[in-house]
Amino acid sequence: MLDELNFAGYLDLCAPQFRYRIFAHSPELGKDMLWKDLDKEEMKHHFELIPKHVRDMSSVMRFPTVYTISYSDDGRQATAVSGLQVFKTKLNGGDTKLFGVCRMRDVIDLHGKLPRLLSREVRMETRQLGTGTQIPF
Amino acid sequence: MSRTSVEWVNGPQLPVTHYVDSRIYTDEQIHREEIEKIFNKIWLIACHESEVPNAFDFRTFMHPSGRSLIVIRGGDMTIRSFYNTCSHRGNTLLQQPSGNAKQITCVFHHWSYDATGACVGIPRDKAGYGTRLCKENVGLREVKTAVAYGGFIWVNIDDRCEPLQDFIGNAFEDLKMEISHPLEVFHYHQAVIDTNYKLWHDTNRELYHDYMHYHNRLTGLSQKGYFDRVFHTYPNGHVQLDSMEIQYQAYAGKQRSLAWPGATKACHKLIDIFPGTTFILRAPSFRVDTMTPLGANKVLIEFRGIGLKADTPEERAERVREHNALWGPFGLNLHEDLLANEMQTRAMRDGAEHSYVLHAREENNTTHDEIGMRQYYAEWGRRMGRPPYDPYGKRIAAAS
Repeated sequence: MLDELNFAGYLDLCAPQFRYRIFAHSPELGKDMLWKDLDKEEMKHHFELIPKHVRDMSSVMRFPTVYTISYSDDGRQATAVSGLQVFKTKLNGGDTKLFGVCRMRDVIDLHGKLPRLLSREVRMETRQLGTGTQIPF
Repeated sequence: MSRTSVEWVNGPQLPVTHYVDSRIYTDEQIHREEIEKIFNKIWLIACHESEVPNAFDFRTFMHPSGRSLIVIRGGDMTIRSFYNTCSHRGNTLLQQPSGNAKQITCVFHHWSYDATGACVGIPRDKAGYGTRLCKENVGLREVKTAVAYGGFIWVNIDDRCEPLQDFIGNAFEDLKMEISHPLEVFHYHQAVIDTNYKLWHDTNRELYHDYMHYHNRLTGLSQKGYFDRVFHTYPNGHVQLDSMEIQYQAYAGKQRSLAWPGATKACHKLIDIFPGTTFILRAPSFRVDTMTPLGANKVLIEFRGIGLKADTPEERAERVREHNALWGPFGLNLHEDLLANEMQTRAMRDGAEHSYVLHAREENNTTHDEIGMRQYYAEWGRRMGRPPYDPYGKRIAAAS
């Protein structure tokens, strides 16, 4: 969804209590940093602001590799741990380069009619992101 | 009316202090000269004291000269800096960006040094060197170090340099109260950008580009008092801008509740230190940028988010959130600035004909006046011995 900038579609996949966080460990400071911490409403607000800001028009593609899926005892929640590679393709010329790699831990609510994302925790391996990005991984 | 090639390269009809030749941003020879004449002789921030809080904590720092430095707190709690280079065979001593080392031992041949830079161990020294070499003569190369202006650790590799206080002068006068509290770095990230370091610093010296930032248009540009701020210039190329109150509610629907002690709520303050350090307080967030030029068209920028050591967990969380919303790698504003700089560089280096970059706005030194950049390039020209509007002396030669 985020590859297509379909922000509304992304939010539809999230439970009302959704929480999105990006962490990165800084060996320079010797501690973890929290780079993003948004609930569903804040994420919606962030998505609304993105088109109003200037941004790199390169396209971005996310390639997840699911490592493990585990289920809660009652089967109502699943936890998926994945690796994620994100590539950026320049609008002008189409050159593609690796943008960043990270690990993701998703907690998914299986209780309702459709699965919904309860939380996504991104652990950045890449910390040097050049100009950065306004669009979450 | 569009311009011909001759008109394009002839430059604008403005005072020469009001524009620069774009080749000062793209010429590798000028870049090498800047390292020699500016960066190797000037005080630069290596890190912050909160990054080395305990005895024997160290940080490594890549100086623009290409030398890696070790910044280490000694057993006496004094912070000293050295070349990160073994006196024996020139090997890099410490690979890690940070750590704790009572003794720094080279992995190659196990020469070791203490936190004062003294050589304290040479394996089989008498067997190999007899009396021809002794430990006292092979200590590390020490670098001038000072901890000041908010607890930042400043270094200067020129042994004959002026004291840091003389270099800074009164440039921090307006931020004196705010940085008098013990500070702590909570955020650190680097960005390597395909641009010249001066273009990045220019961006931090002018607010005319607030038109680019949706956030700044709403919270500053369209607010009362925005155009009343005055730039103050200081010797050695430093500049400071008067503060104003940011109207966060115009962007995010609510005003910020957390302030910065010594400053008004939601205040914005800006201080630029020559040749590439910026302190920006946008309460409750505080950011410090430093940079290392990697070439004429490449710069490593280090971004630090600063909090108060006395912050409660709730206060710290708010500072982190506010900092990252705009200035983190996933923030909304920082991306815009960095992107604009890359686009500038792309335009300058792609063409066969150089252009001129204007710093010509005059508005009684107020918010959109480009005095900050004129002050910068006056200092740059003084140190480089080249006029930035005519870096190769061709126009001067043609005129004489």
